[in-house]
Amino acid sequence: MFALARSAVADSVEFLSGAKAEGTVTAIRKAAKEFDIEVKIGTRTLVRTYTFDKVHAVTMKGKRFVLTPLPANPTGAGAAAKGTSVASETGLQTRDQVMRQIDQIGRTPPDWFEATPLNYPQSLDLTWPLKPPNKGWNNQKNIGQYLWDIINPNPSRWRSGIRLVHHEMTVHKQDPELLQRDMKSLGTMYFQLFQDYPRAAFWLLQAKVDKGDVNAVMLGECYWRMGNRQMGLDMLNSSRLPMQAIKLLGDMGETDRAIRLADAFAKGRQPHEAYLLAGDACRAAGRLPQAIAYYQKVLDAPDARNQEYTARYSGRATDSMEAIRLIHRANVAQVADGTYRASSIGYNGNLEVEVKVAGHRVTSVTVTQHREKQFYAALSDTPAKILKKQSIQGIDATSRATITSQAIVNATAKALAKGAP
Amino acid sequence: MTPPGGGQSLRRAVLGGALVLLGLACGHVAWRQATMAGWRFDAIHRADPHEGWWLVALAAAITLLVVGALLFSTGLFPGAGTPAVFRLDWYLPFLRKKKAKETLPAPSWLARLASRVLPATWRADRITGKPGAIRRWLKWLGPSLLSSPLRRVVQATCLLVFLVLFFYVCWPYRARPAAEGQQFAGWKFSELDHESGAFRFSHPSDAGPRLEPGQPVFVVDDASAGSASDSIAFTVARQEPGHVALVPLNDLSAAQFDALLLHGGGWTICEQMPNRWPSHYADDLASKQWLPAELFLVIDPLVSLSTAIAARSWVWSLASAGAILIVCVLIPRGFCGYLCPLGTVIDLFDWTIGKRVTRFRVADDGWWVHLKYYLLAGTLVAALGGVLVSGFVAAIPVITRAALFLGEPLQTATLRGGHLVPALNSGQFLSIAMFAVVLGLGLLKPRFWCKYVCPSGAVFSLGNLFRVSERKVESTCINCNKCVEICPFDAIKPDFTTRVTDCTLCQTCGGVCPTHAIKFVERWNVVELKTANDPPTGETSLGRRGFLSLAAGAAAAVAGGGAIAVATKASGGRLAEADTNLPVRPPGSVPEPDFLQLCIRCGECFKACPNNVLQPEGFQQGLEGLWTPLVNADWAGCASSCNACGQVCPTGAIRALPLEEKRVVRMGLAIVDQQTCLPLADREACQLCVDECVAAGYDAIEFTRVHTRVDADGQPLAGSGFLAPVVLPEKCVGCGLCQTRCHAINAKEKHLLDESAIVIVAGDGREDRLRTGSYIALREIEAAERAKTQRANSPEGAYFVPEAGAPPETDPAPADVSDAENPFGLP
Repeated sequence: MFALARSAVADSVEFLSGAKAEGTVTAIRKAAKEFDIEVKIGTRTLVRTYTFDKVHAVTMKGKRFVLTPLPANPTGAGAAAKGTSVASETGLQTRDQVMRQIDQIGRTPPDWFEATPLNYPQSLDLTWPLKPPNKGWNNQKNIGQYLWDIINPNPSRWRSGIRLVHHEMTVHKQDPELLQRDMKSLGTMYFQLFQDYPRAAFWLLQAKVDKGDVNAVMLGECYWRMGNRQMGLDMLNSSRLPMQAIKLLGDMGETDRAIRLADAFAKGRQPHEAYLLAGDACRAAGRLPQAIAYYQKVLDAPDARNQEYTARYSGRATDSMEAIRLIHRANVAQVADGTYRASSIGYNGNLEVEVKVAGHRVTSVTVTQHREKQFYAALSDTPAKILKKQSIQGIDATSRATITSQAIVNATAKALAKGAP
Repeated sequence: MTPPGGGQSLRRAVLGGALVLLGLACGHVAWRQATMAGWRFDAIHRADPHEGWWLVALAAAITLLVVGALLFSTGLFPGAGTPAVFRLDWYLPFLRKKKAKETLPAPSWLARLASRVLPATWRADRITGKPGAIRRWLKWLGPSLLSSPLRRVVQATCLLVFLVLFFYVCWPYRARPAAEGQQFAGWKFSELDHESGAFRFSHPSDAGPRLEPGQPVFVVDDASAGSASDSIAFTVARQEPGHVALVPLNDLSAAQFDALLLHGGGWTICEQMPNRWPSHYADDLASKQWLPAELFLVIDPLVSLSTAIAARSWVWSLASAGAILIVCVLIPRGFCGYLCPLGTVIDLFDWTIGKRVTRFRVADDGWWVHLKYYLLAGTLVAALGGVLVSGFVAAIPVITRAALFLGEPLQTATLRGGHLVPALNSGQFLSIAMFAVVLGLGLLKPRFWCKYVCPSGAVFSLGNLFRVSERKVESTCINCNKCVEICPFDAIKPDFTTRVTDCTLCQTCGGVCPTHAIKFVERWNVVELKTANDPPTGETSLGRRGFLSLAAGAAAAVAGGGAIAVATKASGGRLAEADTNLPVRPPGSVPEPDFLQLCIRCGECFKACPNNVLQPEGFQQGLEGLWTPLVNADWAGCASSCNACGQVCPTGAIRALPLEEKRVVRMGLAIVDQQTCLPLADREACQLCVDECVAAGYDAIEFTRVHTRVDADGQPLAGSGFLAPVVLPEKCVGCGLCQTRCHAINAKEKHLLDESAIVIVAGDGREDRLRTGSYIALREIEAAERAKTQRANSPEGAYFVPEAGAPPETDPAPADVSDAENPFGLP
């Protein structure tokens, strides 16, 4: 009774997140689609402003108003707005819903935007011409090179990088060509750095990307990730697709299409990259023998542009093959009885592990050689964990001793793989 | 024996009472100050002279109380048979058969207590003079134990405490990082209870975690669990299946409140604050320090005295040196006889080896008689010249270094493995050799070092000038020479009177005297003393030769001290020169000139340092830097959770910083070698240093892409080039973890480099060396400066959106909903 009486007096807000709060709505701004609410927490009172799109319903003076219908997809606008990836299944969102979300979210800055200072080297050339000067690489002068060298590799600088490109758009307001390039960059950055698909899509759409372009593939992925698979596939419906489409097709589960496209590319100038992508697609789909075959093709392909590139491609291919081998072959159940040794690089140098297997069980894991100083605990903890789990998967590192732990796990995996059929 | 007259005893009682009152007042002040200071020295303000006065006051109070109580009791009970103002006897008196007509003095209260508690067979019989089991056992142990057991017990205890402090408290490897605590993901915030201010969370599955009411928990959103540190602290109010009510620990900020209401994803409830700064090494040391690890170092008066003179400043351990000197007014040179672990080790050496090898024994005093005073004068003169050499010869640093250079490698090798013992340098061998000499001097005479050479002992000998108690011999002495033979300090003259500057009040002589002629009483006692110079001592008071030798010795001391000061400065650190290669010092070290004047070279910090990051300097800075701690980052990096070096430093050369302060202290700056760094040299990908820095939580090294290939349009080719490290000077603290890793892997394991391509460098602008004040405050000032320039450089940039909408208009909230059918303007 008391609860009823109270709720009759107070207004209550049901958020899209599922949270509920009671308070007093003090002001409503229809045009801005937001309202103010005064909330009491214990002895404190807070006044907060919320936009309609974050609120499912408000009950005011006993009357309930639905501001935003609950989305069919429970991880809806709220999560996307925060820039976290949305795990999507086919066709969860209609075209209209996706487009509305893109427009709504894309027009608003991310929540960290205001708090991020505009911070760039004073030597930077803010005119940012379409083509960098030919005089050579200078990441303290040319914005594109600054983004490439300094912003992209450092997560701590991503926000300020986006801030800088936004600033560049105000500089280039009058120049449609430069503005389009800025928008493309911005979309790419939201996509690659933050997986903020609505904003990425918004800016890519603003830049009016062409079908068959790298950016169009990106846009397609945004649609797919936001919950509309068909819109994603539509973007890939082109006769001249860039190589990046292979990866997206693979991710979307269109493995056969991905392989066909890769095979087409492999006839061109860069077979290595195409084979690698095909291998990745097969690996993601669980077609391991086929994946290994494609990785092997990378190794067998003629030399790439130069030795360095060849080494890079074959390095990636062998790493992937090794990973497949380790994950699927270092399974104790398949390992023949015996004693196996392998080593891996630990904190202070090589670390050698001796693994004994008997009756398809790991009977002992011993660190036989090491130079570790820092993380002594891991030397006994991690082998004990492996013995207990009888697996190298899901061994969490001894806290603050990650490197040593991982070295032991890796070496154990390698050792076990030696005994696999 | 005439008991004192009535008037005299009244005077004594009054004086004693007055002293007790004074002691109580003194103690009250000390107690109040100590309570205010939390019974410790404020870590940040150790350089402040106000700190630590409570300790001096406490020592004075204790001394006053003891003297006063003794005076008062002997004044009130004059008939107890002691004509002395007070007696400080605690030796076990020589046992003899009672003579027929002799009246035994009343037994002491201790003897009376013993007769009640102990079985008869354990006790000696005073009438027949037959020893009991205790005395027989003590006799079996040795004559000095039989005569003065208390002294040996105290000595053994002190040595044991010293060893425990050094080998257990300063052994950091017991520390383990705190468990991460359980994390429970997938909670939804459901409701806010306005009355209690509790936040209700729900979980789809009933099988939730078991949380105790009152337990602190930390809530982060599922997506950022494990990466973000912006968790919200709550306490558990109550828990039902599938539900938990949490009350925020602090007032929620508006942003936190919004996050709770709006975040659509789940929340993770963590038992421990996610990604909190680790503190296991600091916690481990703090938990073991029921006594300060540097206890014996701070009560060696020469340590604090000479550092204070050299640095011309207050040194916090002066307080404890003052305290011990005050106590030694009552027990002159008691430090040497009872407390000093070096003295005890020398006693042990004499017991095991010294007394068996007699060929080096010297009978008489030689030129070395007063050597300790000249050494003391010399070191203090050198200290006046700003050069600290006292640590080479002061008692406790000598024994500490011996334990460090001999014991620590053994301890590490046996408990952790031989490969973890850093190589010894020439300086360490010198220290070991010096310790061998100190022990070897015991072949000349027992305690030769303590009596003739030790300058710390000389401080106490001088302190003896202010003694209030003294060993006295009464006229019942029968010249049996037993006391002279047993005195470990050669502190008894041939006429059986006392060499007052040497006597440590060990009372061994008291226990062997067959006539009980030796007493430990107030200095001015003249009751029934034996005549002096009988038999003749052959010692003259200061004559012409004595005066000449004194003058010569003093002159030599001053000249020697001065010469050492000048020579050391000349061949030393050359701090004033621009191209000087400065060693990287421990975190929180005071500025380099002060550091060299304050560091006593005891080696305590090396012992407490996990993984031997700190290692003793050799002769890189000549004598000036010998045995001072430097960071050997090739060997190991400074653990982020440790602040041990400052905590155990006895002089404040390394400031005792709390962990929060220490983690922002810049001890140096990592410099990347542009020529050799693997990615920079276009050799191969490597990000060891960056990973290491991120793992340690400093995030002070970031990437830059180098050697990017470009296509014909000048566009970079994806995948070309390498990521190379760039050190952010405002974040790097110079811990050296990056250098350790690069050296261990790239240089030693893979032989790609000769030495680490990232190296910690000290020097102006690369390190913070504050004498006083907070490093956190310094960082905040710098951050504010940076923010200011940043603000100045960044124009007000609005969020640019093409064809932006019209500005919003505000409606007031409707007074009544029934009036406005559509207050939210819904379509």
